[in-house]
Amino acid sequence: MEPLFTFLFKYRPVVFEDGRFAFETAWPSLVVLGSLAVAALSAAAYLRQRGRLGRRVVLLVALRTLAVALVAFALLRPVVRISAAVPGENFLAVLLDDSRSMRLADDGERSRGERALADFTGDSQLLRRLQERFTPRYYRFAGAARRMEPAAPLAFDGRASDLGAALERVRQDLAGVPLAGAVLVSDGADNSGAELTEPLLRLKASGVPVYAVGVGDERFEPDLELARVDAPDRVLAGSAFAVDVTVRQQGYEGRTVTLTAQRDGAIVATQDVAFAAGPATMARVHLEADAEGAHRYRFSIAPGEGERIPENNAREALVTVEDRREKVLYVEGEPRWDVKFIRQALAGDDNVHVVVLQRSAENKLLRLGVEDPLELVAGFPETREELFAYRGLILGSVEADFFTAHQLEIVEEFVSQRGGGVLFLGGRRSFAAGGYAGTPIAAVLPVVLGERTAEDVVEVRVQPTLEGQAHAALRLASSPEESQARWETLPPLTTRHPLERLKPGASLLLAGTPAAGTSAAGGELVVLASQRYGRGRAAALTVQDSWLWQMHAEVPLEDQTHERFWRQTLRWLVSAVPRQVTLETSAGLVAPGEPVTLRADVRDAGYLGLNGARVTATVTDPLGGERTLPLEWTVENDGEYRASFVPEHLGPYEVRLSAEHAGETVGADNARLEAVDLPTESFGAEMNAPLLRRIAEETGGRFYRAGDVGGLAEDVRYTESGKTVVETAELWDMPIVLLLLLGALGGEWLLRRRWGLA
Amino acid sequence: MLGIALLAAASAQERLVDPASEEAPAADGEHHELYFSRAVYSSYRFPSWRIDYPKADRQFLIGLKKLTNVDVYGGEHAMRLDDPDLRRFPLLYAVEVGRMSLTEPERRGLRGYLLAGGFLIVDDFWGTREWDNFEQEIRAVLPDRPIVDVPLDHPVFHVFYDVGEVLQVPNVHQGMAGGPTWERDGYYPVFRGILDDDGRLMVAINWNSDLGDAWEWAENPYYPLQYSNFAYRLGVNLIVYGMSH
Repeated sequence: MEPLFTFLFKYRPVVFEDGRFAFETAWPSLVVLGSLAVAALSAAAYLRQRGRLGRRVVLLVALRTLAVALVAFALLRPVVRISAAVPGENFLAVLLDDSRSMRLADDGERSRGERALADFTGDSQLLRRLQERFTPRYYRFAGAARRMEPAAPLAFDGRASDLGAALERVRQDLAGVPLAGAVLVSDGADNSGAELTEPLLRLKASGVPVYAVGVGDERFEPDLELARVDAPDRVLAGSAFAVDVTVRQQGYEGRTVTLTAQRDGAIVATQDVAFAAGPATMARVHLEADAEGAHRYRFSIAPGEGERIPENNAREALVTVEDRREKVLYVEGEPRWDVKFIRQALAGDDNVHVVVLQRSAENKLLRLGVEDPLELVAGFPETREELFAYRGLILGSVEADFFTAHQLEIVEEFVSQRGGGVLFLGGRRSFAAGGYAGTPIAAVLPVVLGERTAEDVVEVRVQPTLEGQAHAALRLASSPEESQARWETLPPLTTRHPLERLKPGASLLLAGTPAAGTSAAGGELVVLASQRYGRGRAAALTVQDSWLWQMHAEVPLEDQTHERFWRQTLRWLVSAVPRQVTLETSAGLVAPGEPVTLRADVRDAGYLGLNGARVTATVTDPLGGERTLPLEWTVENDGEYRASFVPEHLGPYEVRLSAEHAGETVGADNARLEAVDLPTESFGAEMNAPLLRRIAEETGGRFYRAGDVGGLAEDVRYTESGKTVVETAELWDMPIVLLLLLGALGGEWLLRRRWGLA
Repeated sequence: MLGIALLAAASAQERLVDPASEEAPAADGEHHELYFSRAVYSSYRFPSWRIDYPKADRQFLIGLKKLTNVDVYGGEHAMRLDDPDLRRFPLLYAVEVGRMSLTEPERRGLRGYLLAGGFLIVDDFWGTREWDNFEQEIRAVLPDRPIVDVPLDHPVFHVFYDVGEVLQVPNVHQGMAGGPTWERDGYYPVFRGILDDDGRLMVAINWNSDLGDAWEWAENPYYPLQYSNFAYRLGVNLIVYGMSH
């Protein structure tokens, strides 16, 4: 379209977009009045023929008026005034993308890099035209831009593309010279994750237009890509955990591929992924954390037939399996089988330790599993510090009146502020029957409490909901099919709480179908529901005899369902519970040279943010070298500290963090990360035209596709940046004016002949 | 001689059971956490599982309700060892196991029950001969698990009451007569057990002692209080231990 436009209008679109329109005739009034008079006389002459021609006269009047208007337009001497670079006085930055994605050969013949170089190096016509007016300054970039000689070879080996950083570097570098603009030659596949708005605003403020040249195809077909892998950074040993893998496909609709998960090189799971019509499909891979340490998990799909980019079929994630011991306090208001069987399920579990406080008679408490003779000696904790030492809390068949008002408040704070996990079990003193309505606990519960009296015992068959089927804690076997089959054969349980309503935002994970003939028959009851509450998590398991999954005659003796259910459920309950000092890294797997941010969350024993702490991290590199980094309080959030470092060597890094306050140790935490050769440039490698177009439009430049850059040299000329003069572009002699004039007069002549006028 | 003893014991049993108490209380229709299940098993010559049944069970449960807050069904609850429903009731009480003669389905049922997590309390059998019979039967059920002496510092003696010694609880006649407390050659009370893989009691064996009679005759002013007192204390401890360990 652009060549046609330029032929008809004499100039490229940029002239009309950026220029200011004006008439330059010395006698504008005379031209206008004269034209109006001629048009009026012509119309009057035609109108006299109205009796003969009828309504057809209107067409003739219109054609004559158009012809007169076009002549008037030309006589008014229309021009566009536009700012243009002074030849030879300006610099032009040329940024060439040097990242690995430029090695891709979209057409199967020439790589993107070769196509880019053909236009912007050597003796290309475009370059010659640019050099006639500008002094080019060449930069190559992957991360930050670097100056290069015009003939210097490009290696195309950058590990990541950061367009914002590159443009900012060029802006700063050429801030002191007249800069007409910047030509950005790239595939736009920015994978830095960095924000682009700031660098663009600075360029806009400087008035430097960016002319973006997109290299490569906007769509690869056929292609499969592991677009995203969401894995937890840390898991507790013995946990079942899920990794969400997003697979993008183009050209594989309706096909099924096999996703393979490897841990440290050994295959640990395979799973079929069926593609629907949509471009992306998410697969949830269920894994088990059984060996302590940092593990590299690799998720991959075998290359499809004729696939364009097989390098983007695999992604990795680093998951650290921690061998910690998490304490859970289980409060029971009466002797119950759950105490025995939950303790039995967790016997020999080194990672979850259940401490039981059980009221066995009025004013008589039994403590089980305490590690200190004084632990819970006065009963349920009275202070935040004492309660917050636990990471999880189970409230069994114990009524609200067992607790003081203060204790109920600190249970609520245990979840909302400390971030603890709380699980409510069904029983004759639980939920509404325990008088919890109107207490702070009612807000924590993920269910809406029903009537206080719920004496009917309902037998329910328990099944995971769709959300429950995908939940790692409720996976009872290695494959989803086996797990579902196990759920279907488990014996029914009983509940005294026919709860049906969840709180807004709560999830139903297990549902119960009441046996036929019972009072609750027909409706589906809540068996396991959970919700986030403040910083923590609350769950309600409304059944009262999950131990039947261990004892029932239909359950084989070697069956581990009950053990697995409780081990996984309690791990899930405490999995995201923060400690006093928590260290997070911005990434588990990083490329060497890529900065890593360390973020520490430091809290006192009551879990309030601690700002005056001395927080230091010791980083051990793969060669055994150590360095100590102080972390600074961020000011934005209480107890949050940050620092960053750049891993330089390939291999594992270990970060040990410690926090001190007022001369006393608050806590410590460790994290591991690994510097690896990441193939990030193979991901999202399609030419990102929208991004390049945005850069061009926001800075006042234009977007081109490689191979269609003929107008670039002309467009760059009309810049307002650098040393410029105002040029005047005459419009009276545009071919479009002449063509319209001929069309109007010719049409009028033909019609007059046809209708028999002289 | 043995036959005469057995007959005497049988007639004593018939005499001791209160006819009025033979009628089981109507089930209350409610769901309870604990059912004090009496083990019904095959035995030599007469159904020895019935000894002191149901009055002992009822009277013990009256005490258990008063002394603890466990949600227990107040009536007797007899369960056959080969009944699959046995696994719904994780606590089982068996008496006179010296006469036990289990069938293969009963052995299988009891083995499955114990290995799944059930807790068995054994009471009221006396002397070497009855021990040998019980040992033979329980070894057929759990061949790989040794029977061990349970020391006084074991949690079962301290989980609710602190029980400082194991008393020999005599049967009702000898108790009211002032002694002797032993029967046959069972001169000393012995508390033994069989442990599960994690070291917790799965079978509590009360040999040369009769907790059942002490519960059954606790209301009798002529039955010595010390024995009833001890029987309730140990019985409550066994229940609380069984439901928590």
